This record gives sequence, structure tokens and C-alpha cells, in this order.
Amino acid sequence: MIRKTFLLLLPIILFSQSNFFGYYEGEFDQLKFANQTYNYGYNKLRLDFEANPDDVVTIGANINIQKYFDNISWNLLDFLPSEIWQPIFQPDGYPEEMWIMEFPIALLDTLSLDNVYLKAGFKHFDLMVGKQQISLGTGYAWNPTDIFNTKQLLDPTYEQTGVNAVRAEISLKGRTNLDAILSPGKDWNESVKMLQLKTRLGRFDMQGTIGQYTWQRTQFNSTTFMVDEQNNLRTLYGGSVVGELAGAGVWIEGAWNQLENQEDFTEVAIGTDYTFKNSLYIIMEYLRNENGVSSKDNLDINNYLQYFMGETHSLMQDYLFGFLSYPVNDFIQLSLLGFGNLNDNSAALNPQISWNLFQDVDLIIMYNHFLGEDNTEFGVQDWGWRIRLRGYF
Amino acid sequence: MRNILSIIMFCSMTIFAQEAMPAGAELIEKMSDIMTQENSTAIMTQTITTSSGKQRTFEFEMFTANEGEKTLMRYLKPSAARGQAFLMLNNADDIWTYFPRTKRVRKLSSSSKNQKVQGSDFSFEDMGSGDSWKEEYVSTNLGTEKYNDTDCWKLESIGIPEQNPSYPKMAVFMRKSDFYPIKIDYFDDDYYIEKTLFMENIKEIEGVPTAIKMTMKNHSEGTETIMVTISITYHWEPPENFFTERELKK
Repeated sequence: MIRKTFLLLLPIILFSQSNFFGYYEGEFDQLKFANQTYNYGYNKLRLDFEANPDDVVTIGANINIQKYFDNISWNLLDFLPSEIWQPIFQPDGYPEEMWIMEFPIALLDTLSLDNVYLKAGFKHFDLMVGKQQISLGTGYAWNPTDIFNTKQLLDPTYEQTGVNAVRAEISLKGRTNLDAILSPGKDWNESVKMLQLKTRLGRFDMQGTIGQYTWQRTQFNSTTFMVDEQNNLRTLYGGSVVGELAGAGVWIEGAWNQLENQEDFTEVAIGTDYTFKNSLYIIMEYLRNENGVSSKDNLDINNYLQYFMGETHSLMQDYLFGFLSYPVNDFIQLSLLGFGNLNDNSAALNPQISWNLFQDVDLIIMYNHFLGEDNTEFGVQDWGWRIRLRGYF
Repeated sequence: MRNILSIIMFCSMTIFAQEAMPAGAELIEKMSDIMTQENSTAIMTQTITTSSGKQRTFEFEMFTANEGEKTLMRYLKPSAARGQAFLMLNNADDIWTYFPRTKRVRKLSSSSKNQKVQGSDFSFEDMGSGDSWKEEYVSTNLGTEKYNDTDCWKLESIGIPEQNPSYPKMAVFMRKSDFYPIKIDYFDDDYYIEKTLFMENIKEIEGVPTAIKMTMKNHSEGTETIMVTISITYHWEPPENFFTERELKK
């Protein structure tokens, strides 16, 4: 597939002004949980290509090659509280030899065409066709209006995977824009249809969103021990407001989700940030997600699976996120990231150092400390280290 | 008759003295006229030198309109910063930043407008405040002084707290010949010199005096940022809807 795409792109690469860029990323992780320490990591190469066959046309693509090392096979059950999986995999009354001891998951090496798109700029609108990164919403850690992505809490600014879509960003009067997105599915119901109207009132940026698609959610079948999909037509009515009060940035982003076969739910993220004169930057965000579970006693394996698959923005309902950063000098930054699950009283603290070692080379060292009881979302893990080296070219 | 001549001579001297010693507000007006052209577009490099001598060099394109009230900056080099862009409107009171890796636009609060742009010694406000200092400062002409063998007016600008200026005080040395500033001292809250901007290699570009090299020295941190203009034109008309989120993401 990649070879074919590149053969098609070859004439453009050869006969137009084209650029190649990207980065190498190496990561090493050490994680302690379930009384064991695990080492794992990966080497990744992202190769971006961009060409302009015409002044108003851009063709872009990127390939990700990612190769994992050390522990590449994991037992999903190690990440779940035992009361969630034991009744299913090791039920009372079953002889021990019939117990299922693991639910294996593997980190698979990837060679993928992450994005490949054509963008054309017209006087009053931009049109983008192809596999493209679509990042919606104004929240920092959570985006209730973003149905395409779920952010990694430890790394909320990491790039997202491309989505097949046609997107038109249309300039209306003044500072008002209309963003229309169609991401095709197997049929019209499965396709994502989304409209976003963005405008500015005074010092506030406002956005209204309406979208509809078939929400596919993972369901574990405890009879067949297979994973099925549950489909639900979802209509999202959302919006956001970003502005400032007394010099501090403030934002609210929310969505009311109407579901065909399930109770409707609301998801809201509200946040604030401030930069002090000494360059200390602080950000706080709260998430209320009614689609999450309100008490850890009500969690089941499907809640975990849907969360791990990125089908919901959070496992439970109420979360708090905080981030502090301070530049020690022009090249070194100290940060402290933390997030807490307010429903099961578990939390993660993540101090980190970002160091611009050389021009275009960054090193990040972070430590993760998890707090909470063993049967909580974060407390199930003990601690972890991460070292990430990234060199751009 | 003699009395009449004396009066005429006295009046002439008074007028001459007034011409020779223009008021601070007048000087600021003239400096603003020359510094903030209606529109411009430029490609510039920015070399940051830390106190330990380490250097990083960036290249960016910059578009300004409405006498600097609107600014769009987009980084071209190095690879790590490529595509990152800033949109500053209302003299940098409103700032949006675009991260090409995540394709996200974030609005920065006004508390960040005095922060460094890409770790340089220039703040967002230094880059995008246009001619706002006419309203934010009260300026006094302190008289004539020589700087680097150039006859200058020395101007003191004191910030008006209600206008929320970036610096409580600035001292400007401007050439008498064309009112172009060649040195600006920026003071901190304790009235110590925090940063100094040196405007060098001033050339006439399309009839407008333009500093090809600008050096900002940060005295408190021992760092320095040199901005060099690679190309610039003042004959640029921004297309419709140019200073918007759509253009920021291009």
C-alpha cells in the first residue's frame, strides 16, 4: 500500500518543490506494577513529505516506522483490578486448570502511512482531502467535542493518528468560520458528519459543534471470550468558549451526546492557565464525563476495554488535571504534571525535565508516581520512568 | 524700533528653541511614524546566545498590518520549530499559537504577552505591540546626547499603570537626523535596566530606514538575541482574512 502510494506520489516529488522532514524518536520506559518491573521502549522514525505543485495546493504525507523492544507482550489483566477480571476469567466453582490466566496484548511494530492528504486554498475556503490529523476542541487534557482522538494523559500534546476525511474550512463574515468535516464510514450512518461554527465575541472565541456518527464500542462477550462491537448512533451538540478573566486564560468545552440505544450523556471540561512574570506557567483543568462510571464498585471489564481502545475520554466521571512548568534557562524546562481521578481517589504525579540538548535535539526525562489503592485506576501501577530522545531533521 | 527688533529676536529665539527641543510626545509620534509602517512582510533570522555561549538559530517569516496592530509570525527553521506560528492581534493583547505537530491552535492569555518568544530575549509584546507605546507611556525629551558618535535625542518613557505597559520605564536614544531609535533600554519593576535593544546596520529600504540587525541584550540573564533581516518589503497588501486562524494553520 505504502509502495503504491509513493509510486503515485513520485512524479509530484520529482517535478515540484518538495520538502522532506521529520524526526527520530527513541523512548525507554521502566514500569513497576503487580510486584514486577518491566522494561520496554521503541525506536520511531517519522518521515514527512510536503510538495506544492501549485501556489495554492499542498500535498502532504508521513510515514511512521516504529519498532518496539524488550517487553512487547503484556497481560491486560495486570492492568485491571482483580475484582474486575477474576469473576470472568477465574470464576468460583471452576477448577483451577480451567482458569484463564492472561489476556495477552502485544505492542506491534508499525510501518504506516499515518497521513496522506491534498490541501487546496481558495479565496474563501480551504479544502483538505485524505488521511489527516483532525484535532478538535480547546481543552488541554480533554476535548469533549473531539470524537476522533483521545489524548494520553501523561502526554496530552503528542501528535494524533490521521483520519480519512474531507474537510472544508470556510471563511464567513468577519472572524467567523465554518468547519465542515465528513469522515466516510461503511455507510452514511457510520460516517462522521460534523459542522463547527467558530466566531469571536469581544475577547472571547466561541465555537458551536454538531456532529453525528455511529459510535462503535468494544463489548467483551464472557460466553465466547471474544470481543464484539456495539453500535450506537450518536449525535453530538457541543460548544466551547475561550477567553480571559483578570489576565488568566479561561475555557470551557462541552458536549451533550444523544444516543440511540443508551442514555444521553454530557461531557464538560473547564480550565484556566496563567503565566507569572517569572515565567512560571500553571494550567488546571477539570473534566466531568457522565459517560464514565461514577463509582469503582460499578466498573466492569467493558469500561476498561472501551477506555483502553480510546472509545471514551475517561474511565470514570470526575478528573482534575494540573501542569506547572518553569524554564530554568532558555534550553531547560522543569515541569510537574499531575492528574487525579476524583471518584476512586487515585492520582499520578509526573515530574519531568525537558532539555534542548542541541539545535533540533530534545531530551525528556520523566518519572511517574502513582497513588491510590491497588484496585483504583492509577493505583494499580506503582511507578515508572520514561526517557525520550527526539531529533528533528 | 530697537524694542520691536528685540521682541522679534526674542520671539524667533523662542520658536527656534522650541524647534530645537521637541516635546517627548512629538518625538514618539515621529519615531512611531518611521518604525511602524502600514504593512510589511519580512524573513528574519533569530540567533539566541545563552550565558554559557550556547547558540540556537531560528528563521521565521513575519507579516504585519495596520501599523503593527496585527502580526503573524511563522517559523521556517529549524526543523523542530518548523510551521509553529503566532497570530497577534490588538497590539499583542490577543495571541494565538499553532502547533503543527498536533494541528492545534491555542489562545494564550494576556499574562503570557511579556514572555519570551521561542526562548529568545524578545517578548510577544516586543514583537507585536506595534505603536501601542504612544498610548501606554508618557515620554519626556531629556535633551541631546551622543551615542556611538551619533547626535541623538534622549527620550524617557514612563509607563501609565492603567494602560498595563510591559515595562515601567524605557529610555530611547534616537537619531536626530531621522528620529530612528538606535538604542532602547527597558527597565524592570525596580527601575534597573533589564534589557537593551541595539538597532544596527540601518539601511533605507523602499525609502524607509530599517535596522537590518537588532540585538537584544538581557542584562539580568546574561543572554542575547540577534535578529537579522534577510528580506523585507513594505509594499505588501494583506489578502482578505489573512490575519485569521485559517492563515495561522497554513
